Parts: sequence; structure tokens; C-alpha cells
Amino acid sequence: MRIKLALDILGFVALALLVVFVPHFVADFTAYELAIIGMYFIALLGLSILTGFGGQISLGHGAFMAIGGYTTAILSVDHGVRDLWTIPIAGLVAGAAGLLVGIPALRLSGLYLALITFGIAVSFPQLPKQFDDFFGGTTGIVLGLVSPPFGLDTTPNRWLFYLTWGIALVLLAVAWIFLRGKPGRALQAVRDSEVAAESSGVNLATYKTLAFGISAFYAGVAGALYVMSTAYMNPDVFPIVLSVYLVAALAIGGLDSLVGLIAGAGVIYILQNRSDDVTRWLNHLPILDLNPKQPGMPSVVFGVVLIAVMLALPMGVGGFLRRIFQPLTSRLYSRS
Amino acid sequence: MLVADFTWTEFAQQLAAGIRSGAIYAGLALAIVIIYRSTRVINFAQGEMATFSTFVCWSLMNHGLSFWAAFPIVLAIAFLGGVAIERTVIRPVENASVLTIVIVTLGLALVLNGLMSLIWGGANRPFDGPFSTRTIDVAGVPISIQDVGIVVVSFVLVGLLALFFRYTKVGLGLRAAALNPASSRLVGVRVGWMLALGWGLAAVLGAVSGMMIAPVLFLDPNMMQTILLYAFAAAVLGGLDSPLGAVVGGILLGVVMTMLERYVGFIGSTLKLPVALLLILVLLLVRPGGLFGHVAVRRV
Amino acid sequence: MRVFSLCVVLAAVAAASAGARPVATPGVSSNEIKLGSSVPLSGEASVAGNVARGAEAYFKYVNDHGGVFGRKIKFTYLDDGYDPGRAVNNTIRLVQQEQVFAMFSSLGTNNNLAVRKLLNDAKVPQLFVSSGATTFGRDYRKYPWTMGYIPPYSEEGEIYGRYVAKTVKKPKVAVLYQNDDYGRDLLGGLRRGLGAKAKAIVARVGYDPTTADVQPQVTQLKASGANVFMIFAFGKFSLQAYNAVSRLNWKPKIFVNDVSSASALMLAVPQKAANGSISIVFGKDPAAPLWKKDKGVRLFQSILKKYGSDIGSRDLDNGFYTAGMATAFTMVDTLRKAGKNLTRAGVMRAATHLNEKNNPFVLPGITVHTTPTSRFPLTQVRLQRWSNKSWHPFGPMLTAKPR
Repeated sequence: MRIKLALDILGFVALALLVVFVPHFVADFTAYELAIIGMYFIALLGLSILTGFGGQISLGHGAFMAIGGYTTAILSVDHGVRDLWTIPIAGLVAGAAGLLVGIPALRLSGLYLALITFGIAVSFPQLPKQFDDFFGGTTGIVLGLVSPPFGLDTTPNRWLFYLTWGIALVLLAVAWIFLRGKPGRALQAVRDSEVAAESSGVNLATYKTLAFGISAFYAGVAGALYVMSTAYMNPDVFPIVLSVYLVAALAIGGLDSLVGLIAGAGVIYILQNRSDDVTRWLNHLPILDLNPKQPGMPSVVFGVVLIAVMLALPMGVGGFLRRIFQPLTSRLYSRS
Repeated sequence: MLVADFTWTEFAQQLAAGIRSGAIYAGLALAIVIIYRSTRVINFAQGEMATFSTFVCWSLMNHGLSFWAAFPIVLAIAFLGGVAIERTVIRPVENASVLTIVIVTLGLALVLNGLMSLIWGGANRPFDGPFSTRTIDVAGVPISIQDVGIVVVSFVLVGLLALFFRYTKVGLGLRAAALNPASSRLVGVRVGWMLALGWGLAAVLGAVSGMMIAPVLFLDPNMMQTILLYAFAAAVLGGLDSPLGAVVGGILLGVVMTMLERYVGFIGSTLKLPVALLLILVLLLVRPGGLFGHVAVRRV
Repeated sequence: MRVFSLCVVLAAVAAASAGARPVATPGVSSNEIKLGSSVPLSGEASVAGNVARGAEAYFKYVNDHGGVFGRKIKFTYLDDGYDPGRAVNNTIRLVQQEQVFAMFSSLGTNNNLAVRKLLNDAKVPQLFVSSGATTFGRDYRKYPWTMGYIPPYSEEGEIYGRYVAKTVKKPKVAVLYQNDDYGRDLLGGLRRGLGAKAKAIVARVGYDPTTADVQPQVTQLKASGANVFMIFAFGKFSLQAYNAVSRLNWKPKIFVNDVSSASALMLAVPQKAANGSISIVFGKDPAAPLWKKDKGVRLFQSILKKYGSDIGSRDLDNGFYTAGMATAFTMVDTLRKAGKNLTRAGVMRAATHLNEKNNPFVLPGITVHTTPTSRFPLTQVRLQRWSNKSWHPFGPMLTAKPR
């Protein structure tokens, strides 16, 4: 166990070092892109707590990101709140919404929960359109661009990178501590067998609802950061398909693999923000000659990859890698 | 009355439109129920399968065929497509975790949606339906022939399916395979092919829904996305394992949604979706079996 | 002590500026000018995205003929599916990664509103946006780097209002409008144009641009008993509106807003409902028999054929391409006026001093004209009526200039 702990800490330190040094070696706009990836990473982190450890499927986490995003937008523009302070508030508002969803979620399992959360993803964007005086409707809310605080000597994009990945590291540490302790073990028990968990005294309701709330908090923080970085919010900034991508990236990357989560975040970024590049890369293949301006290929490729991975590697790529390396590492483990 | 500008004529027209929408929801809901009953999978790709078939129809018509000439060809293609999907993609994950099944149907939806954009482009296009858009006079109320046609076709299809399930050997086998696969095998039912058949029939139902609604909504790859949610609501309303429930639920939902949209100003067209979602939620909590369905007891 | 530090500072500043080179203008090099745009190439508004393709063809033609002071125009346009969030992503990418000199002719009222602040804060020109929302020309004090192009929607609505007040005896007007600045500007203008008869608007229904189907709204409007129907709706919604009018057997006098009046769209609706529809026009519609032999239209078609990408024969009759080319013509004109020493401030100065009389793609007699306090390039239109599968302009040139 101590070796595993050492590996985990090593991974964390490696990531932290990367966060500190990477912005100095990449172009300014690349720092911006990496920051956006960081935001998706935070959302995936939260989702992994819910689905990976708690076993509850949510196809609606884009809605929680949107709640966070709207909180930031409305507080910044209508109430002049400094953008940094809106982040924890956005997380808390989204977290509260998550708790609310978590309560009826108690009585729904598996497919039914997926159905309901899918319904949330589809119908949530309608609320800001209806109450458009408050939310700005489809026209949306325009914010000012982010600028580094206290006259810090860095560019806005690099500041975004540090802010996002700094928060990501903190949230990662929090999640890790949470999952190593009693709540984490309780969640895993719930995931593996609800009936067994309940009969052994685990308070099902509390942990399941808590998992929803926490994962929604993370999504809200991610949403707040995203809106800060693009300076715009409307009901379609976090579209239905994003909720699907979140769960899909989690499934592919492996539910509890750090590298998988980061890679998954990268994949989401490419699909959401750079999909024409996917077509451009594919055009390097001799048989294909697609118009990069024509959408569709990235969806097809991603869908095929999804299906293929699910059929071949039900534990996701991360889980698969872990199984490959397990014979190696278990030798390490057995020594301790 | 609730609204200042209420007229009975308009009410009748909205009612007709509601029944027409309901027929579409019913068709798709029935497809969802058939798949759920046979393979215990909620097919998130149902809408995309329907739209894809509709695009095939559009292509055929673009090459000179009339609608009714293309119609049976599209149904055949949809049927084969459904069977193929079940055998290749669903079969391997039938007994996998819920997450895996959900991801697979979502992946399927993504693939189909992307293919539609690739092959036909994402632009919205008109679709020449089989029914004229003229109106006929029904007791002083102009009702569109198209609405009538959609309802008639949907009911005929549902009726045929009902007969199929009840009175043919294959239909019986399908019902048996869905209800109790183990015992059915013992009696000689080829359960595997029955499940594939279920998917094929569901694909056909979806194709018909798509071809019926395309003249109204105009054809584009995302045409069925919101309808899918209503179809889920209808299926849950009727009971996820009750075909009759799907049909009744569909019609009921269509009428209720149309009336709410028109006459409850607060809801309008924007809040229809959240209302449908709320409906699904409340139903699942209070009466998971819906109107006609049964709740499985969880055996410890 | 203080004097000493002041001298040090001054010396440092002098040293710094002596060695400093002037900051190069982003997007301008000795042989290239980079322009960027975000338009709908997919989804329900994709037919309008063709304005970018028309502009692209025109820029290639100009490049082939020496460019602008020897610089070739590199035009990059990205798809946003008519989604403002994606337009923001595209714009940030074009400005920060592609380092474009200016954003040109991005399409969509909401899309351009979403990026206006960030472009102005970064002092990047947002030129000739494809939207007639009045704010783009009116609010230049707050957003000096932004300018529209097509006649403002509010004035278009006013023209319809005045026409109805003058020609319809007992007007009862029903309005279907998109619930954003685009639709609301048209509606506001209509009210002003009706003047004393503003009460003639008996019903108005707004719809959200992400709605699937506006036919329920049209059913509601018909029930008001109106005899005039204003379609202030875009693309597919306009098509659905016409279809609904036909299905419901409603026979009002129809006014359709300019953005949805392309012949390609009008031909796709039931002609019985479409005949008699009125709209405004400022460009030469290549599908209209009136312009079949026109030099400008011939030029348009030859440029499109030679320099356009993936052009089919139907595209040669598509007014969206012509609109794009007209805007591109003005852009090249502006770049030339801005001179060889091209800067962002310089191009804005040129754009606010336009007096272009020779745009071959707009109606004869139209001058593309701007001043620093009047930033509406196109303010002249004619009315046109649809019959026999094409548009027929009638009446004199009208002014669509906000007072």
C-alpha cells in the first residue's frame, strides 16, 4: 500500500511541476488551450467521483457546468463581483443543484438515472431562454476579458493557465483525500453492490447524494473558469453533446486513472473547440479528402472509437493499461 | 377562458396538431419500448437512426423516385440496419455494465449524426412529404391533410405490428424471447435472432416517424433530437415495457404538450422540454410502471 | 536623490525607445493581409454562410490581379453553426492564434454581439458584420472598432410600416419575430413606420432562435384575424412560416425580411403563399431575370466559377454569394484607402470615410457611404415583390438611414 501511496504522490508532484514550468515553453495561445483542457479535467474529476467511485451515471453534467457559468456571468456583469470570487460561489451553487438532483436520484438506478440526467441536459438550456431578462436568453451575457490580478507580471492567457491548473491540483488533492478515506470506501461499496453496502450499515442516501453534490461542485467550478476565459455565456455554451462527451471521455480514459482523465479532457477540447483540425489531420490519410469546413468526421471517429473501446476494453484505456502494468507493479506491492 | 383570444376553431386545429405530434412520439416511443423489452437497452440512438433513414428516403427521392416508391425501400434498409446494429454492436455488450451499454448507444448516435453531416451536409432542407399541405374542411375547421395522413399512417403501422405480435409465430417468438429468454430457448426459439428482429422493427418504426415528421420540421441531422426526449417521456408515461402504453402515452403527451404550449402562456414553446423532463421524473418516482407497465421487483 | 532617480528613469526610457522598433501590426506582413470570419457553415443557417464563400472567391480574384499594394489577402473563415459560443471560440482563435489583422463580415446578430466587447478591448477591427442590428452602427462611441454593412433592420421595419400605413385600408398586422436584437429591431421599426396606425399590430409572437418549429406560433398568429403578416424570421423559420400559412389556408399580405428573401429560399416554399410577398432589396439577385445580362452579375458569376471552391451551378444564382462579394468589394476598397502603411487604426479611419459608388454587386445608384458619425454603409433600398418565381423591384429608391 505504501508503494501505491508513493506512486500517487509522485504523480501529483510530477503534474505540479509540469503546471509550474509548461507555460514558459509554449506559445501564449497554447497556454490558453491548455487552460481550457484543465477546465474539462476538473469537470471530469468531479464526474469520476460520481460515476467512477459512486457508480451513478450522469448524462447531464454539462448542465452543472452551465449553472456555474451563469453564476459567474451574472455576478460579474450584473453585480460587479470580481471574477475570482465568483468561482467558489459558482461551485457552491452548482453543488447545491447537484444535491437537489441527488435526492430523487436515490430512487433511480442505472438506466433510469441516465435517462433523467439526459433529460436534464436537454431541457436545462430552456430555462435561461425562458427567463431571458435574468439570464440574457440566447443573446447571452458578455463579460470582460480576464486580466491578471494585483498587476502580476504575466499575460492573461498564462494567468488563466495557472489559475485553472492551480485549482485543478487543489481539487485533485481534495478528491484524492476524500476517496482514500471512509467516504471513498463507502462509495465504492455502494458502486459494487448497493444491497451489500446497505446491509453492512453504509448510509446509502447520504453518500450517494453527497457524491452528486461534490461532482456538481467540480463541474460548476469548471464552468465558471470556462466562462471567465471566453468572456461569454449563453444556453449553448455547454451543449447537450458536451454532457455526452464528459461521460464518454470518462469511460474511455478509465474511471479512476489520472492520465486517463487528462487525456480525456484533451479529447473533449479537440472535439468541442478544434473539431475542424480533426478533419484536417484525417486528410493526411491517403484515402480521405474531406472538406475541413464540413463537420461530421470528428463525430464519426469519436463514436467509432467509443464503441470500439467499450467493446474491447470495458475498463477503459486507463483500466486496460493498469491491467497490463499490474503484473509489474504487483511485484512492487507484494514486497511491501 | 384561459386566454383572451380563444376560438374553438383554433382549439380544434391545435388539437389536431397535438394528435399529429402525438402520433410521431408514439411511433418513436414504441420503438424504444420494443428495444427495451427485448434487450433491456435504452436506445439513445433511436432518433439518429430515424433521421438517417429519412435522409436515405430523401436521397432516393432526389434520384427521381416518388415518396411511396421509396417508402418500402427505406423500410427494408432500416430493418436490415437495425438487425445489423444489434448483431454487431449491441450483442457483445448485452450483459455488460449499464455504463457500457449507455456509452455504446451514445457512440452509435454520434456516429450516425456525424455520418449524416458528412454524407448530406448539415444544412436544413425541405422534404417533400406524401401528403399535400392543403386543408380540408372538417365541420368548419380547416384541418391539414398532412396531419390526418400522419396520424393514419402511424396508426396503420402500429395496428400491423400489434397483429404481428399477436397472431404470427414470429411475433409470438419475439414476445417470448423478451419475456423469458431461457425458457424460450428451451422451446426452440432462436433468442439471438429474435432480439435482432426487435431492433429491426424498432428501426422501421423510427424510419416511419422520421419520414412523417420531416415535411413539417424540415430535414437536418439534428431533426429528431428534441423529439427523442418527448418519446422517452411518452415511453415512461406508458410504461417502459408496455407497447400499448407507448402508443397511448405518445398521443396523450402530444396533445397535452401542444395544449400547454398554446394555452399556458408561462410555458409557451420554451418550457415544453423541461415540463416533459419533470413529467418523466415525477413518473419514475411515483409510479415507475407508468400507465400500463410493470415494475420489476429487485431480488436481493 | 529624487532628481537622480528621475534622470535614471528618463535615461532608461530614452534608451528603451531608441532601441525600440515600432510594433508590427498583427496580420500584416510585406506580402499578406490576414482577415478572419466566423460564419454558419453547418446547421440551419448554413445557407447564409455562403457569404463567406462569395467573399473568399472575390479575395482570390483580387489576389490574382495584384492584391492590395502587392499584399495578398489571406481569408480564414471558421464554422460556428450560428452558435454565439462557437463564434467566440473561433474569434479568439483567429485573433490570438492566426493573428488576423481584422475580423470581417462575421454572420449573426447574437454572434457579433458576443465578440464585440472582446474585439474592442483588444482594439481589433470588427468590420462589415453580416447583421443589420442597429447597434452595430449606432453604438460606435462605446465600440469604435465595430461597424455593420447591410441596411439596419430597424429602418427596414420602418419602411414596411410606412408602406402598410399608406397602402392597406384597414390593416391588422401579425408579426412573427426572432427573439433577439435582429427580430426586435425589425419590430420596433415597424411600429415607428406605422406611426398613428401602430395599433394595427394585433398580434406578435417571438420565438427563440434555437426552437425547432415555429408553426404553432403561426397558428396562433392566424387566429388573430390579421390580414398582414410580417415574417421577421430567419432561414428555416421563414420557410416553416410560409408552409404554415399554406397549410392553414391563410391569405394575408406577407412581408418577408431581407435576410430571408433569397430566391433560393423563396423557391422552396409553396408558391401560392409566396406570391405577392414584399421585401426590400439592395443587392443584385443573380436569380432575378432582371439582372440576367447585367455586367456586375456576369462578373460575379465568372469570379465565382473561377475562384470559388466546390461551386455547383445552383450557387451561381444564389444571392448569399453575391452579398458576400459585395461586402468583400467594400473591404478591398477600404484596404486600398487605408494606404500602404496598413494599421488597424488606419483601416478604421478608411472605413469611416467611405464614398463608394462603383460596387458592381449592389443596385445601381447605391453609394456605400460612411462618416465617423454615420456608420451605416448601406442605407438605400428598393421594395420588391415576388411573383412568377422571381423578385421584381418596384418604386423609387428609399432611404433606410437612422436619424
